[in-house]
Amino acid sequence: MIRSLFLIYGLAVLALLSFAEYRGWSLDRVNQVPNVPKSVRDNPGSYRSVYGFYHHYTGGK
Amino acid sequence: MSTMGPGSAGAPRVESLNCPNCGASLTLRSRANAITAVCESCHSVLDARDPKLKVLQTFAAKASEDPPLIPMGSRGAIRGTEYEAIGFQRRTIEVEGIHYSWHEYVLFNPAKGFRYLTEYDGHWNDVSILRSLPDLSPGGATLAYLHETYRHFQTADAVTSFVLGEFPWRVRVGEMVHVSDYVSPPRVISSEGTGNEVTWSIGEYLSGGDLWKAFKLEGEPPPPIGVYENQPSPMSANVTVVWVTAAVLLMMLVPLMVLFFSTARDEQVLEQTYQFDTSSREEASFVTDIFPLKGHTSDVELATSANVNNSWIYLNYALINEDTGQAYDFGREVSYYHGVDSDGSWSEGSSTDTVTVPSVPPGNYYLRIEPESDPNRGIITYTVRMKRDVPQASFFGLAALALLVPACLITWRSLTFEHLRWAESDYGSPPSDTFLGTVQGMVDSAKKSGDDE
Amino acid sequence: MTQPTANCPNCGAKITFRWSGSVQTTCDYCKSVLVRTDVDLKKIGQIADLPPDASPIRIGTEGVYRQRGFVAIGRILYAYDQGSWNEWHLMMNDGASGWLSDAQLDYAVTFAAAESKLPRECRVGQQYAWDGQTYTVSTITKAHFSGVEGELPFQYWDKSDVVFVDLMSHDTRFATIDYSEDPPLLFVGEAVEFDSLKLKNLRSFEGWE
Repeated sequence: MIRSLFLIYGLAVLALLSFAEYRGWSLDRVNQVPNVPKSVRDNPGSYRSVYGFYHHYTGGK
Repeated sequence: MSTMGPGSAGAPRVESLNCPNCGASLTLRSRANAITAVCESCHSVLDARDPKLKVLQTFAAKASEDPPLIPMGSRGAIRGTEYEAIGFQRRTIEVEGIHYSWHEYVLFNPAKGFRYLTEYDGHWNDVSILRSLPDLSPGGATLAYLHETYRHFQTADAVTSFVLGEFPWRVRVGEMVHVSDYVSPPRVISSEGTGNEVTWSIGEYLSGGDLWKAFKLEGEPPPPIGVYENQPSPMSANVTVVWVTAAVLLMMLVPLMVLFFSTARDEQVLEQTYQFDTSSREEASFVTDIFPLKGHTSDVELATSANVNNSWIYLNYALINEDTGQAYDFGREVSYYHGVDSDGSWSEGSSTDTVTVPSVPPGNYYLRIEPESDPNRGIITYTVRMKRDVPQASFFGLAALALLVPACLITWRSLTFEHLRWAESDYGSPPSDTFLGTVQGMVDSAKKSGDDE
Repeated sequence: MTQPTANCPNCGAKITFRWSGSVQTTCDYCKSVLVRTDVDLKKIGQIADLPPDASPIRIGTEGVYRQRGFVAIGRILYAYDQGSWNEWHLMMNDGASGWLSDAQLDYAVTFAAAESKLPRECRVGQQYAWDGQTYTVSTITKAHFSGVEGELPFQYWDKSDVVFVDLMSHDTRFATIDYSEDPPLLFVGEAVEFDSLKLKNLRSFEGWE
């Protein structure tokens, strides 16, 4: 019983891995913004990133 | 044809007799098979072979001192045969000053013979006498029976401390006998006796629930406490299987890796170097030329390298699909600090940052870049490199972990179970020549060195 | 097979022999122990009713051992200080004589074996090899017979104690050395489960199906 369960689980892991590799999943966090107007090419400054703050390490060592 | 005359040997009825000590009536359920019988009322031990039931031992203790969980006279089916519980005894051993007792029930079927049930702390065993001799290894650590190896678990001197009902052998309260148990869960082989005069029996672990159903007893069986010597492990049978399966699955990762690494496009679509003037007051954002991202939906790797020296640059990126207007928006920081202090030279951060944008459909894209930094720190030069459909090694590592974690958990559970089992043995821990014993040994020595620190 | 008949010299009842090799039998009616001579039956003793015993087998019980059919035609009841057992005399289908012992409902089927080198004395734990099989002495019992019934292949009437040595092996092979005669007799066979004998015509027990 355990053997079949683990086998199914393991094959599911491999399937998920394959799908992730194929589709190019990533662990990095990226935000999707829809409907960016074509005018941004002429005026890049008009695009305001929703995440426009920077997390900058202000300390020294 | 028959030469049957009038009446063969013995009357087939159950004998009803009287206790010579107290006069109470006594039934010998196993008839002429009974060698010893105990009076229910006065608890005297009687010679059942004597037609007058000669008294062998008398006691002040009440017969109700240790009531059997399966009442005498109860009937139940074991392995398809109906048995009647006719005898009951309690035996006690002493280990390091502490007394441990277990109970035994004598089961009787007039044609099939005798079986025994043992009970300790809610753990039950179905025991029968062996008709062939097991093969003891020299040194006595193991024995072989029917192609199975049994490991020595415990040896002790058992004293009969309480008796009830009838027995097909000689029984006396206070009688001591040398007992050894060898286990191969769910079975146990026991030797009883001294020197060469040994009786061998084999037991198989039973659940109290199954017994209660078989004997149609009321209430619940006593809850099992701890792990018993031959209690089957829910996990250990699986340990080998799970690791073999894990090994096979892990090996399958290799061809998968080869496949994905060789079929990924890994195609560079952009490489540009830019300069960011931190003193400039102009709009810092700009867009790249349009470039195609080909193939099926896959990732895009963006690497930023900057010549920051004890400073930083933050880049707001947006990867925008020129046709659909879908943007992938993210920010990356490149910072690098270094110096020398009392401990020596140190560095923090890196001059390169890599990010993987997931699941980007094919199409025509451009990048909008907006750099940021502390003002008036000069010009920072940075290079942006983009690659389409890059294989990711980290997922293989995660998959390997996902395969190993359940195997480790199952092994851990099994270790704990076996540790509990063998803690009760003469040895205190699993035997060293088993896989679990070896792992246990490693765990124990790791713990010891931890304690030493 | 012809079954010779005769009349009990004591009470005149009809005695039938199932087996041509029977030397001794008992009269069901008057309980006389009879020995067969060439010409007629001679009474050599009397047995009281057999002591109460609980063997499910009786004279006339039929069964199968290793594809050989048999019928129980006689028995010897032995007693010792801690119990008793039955040795049922079996007549096999092929005419051979065998024994089915019932010791507290542990069963074994054995056959007389020709073996010249039997020990005068044994100790528990000693090992012997016969016919390529190793046996270990498991119990030594001093017993006397406490009753006979039916047809037996020898004349048996002595009530004094006799030593019986039981031997076990690493498989279910079983042997007994019977010191009632000199030289002693060896019986070799195996321990058997009740079900494997497919016994029919058993004694019934009140309260059990």
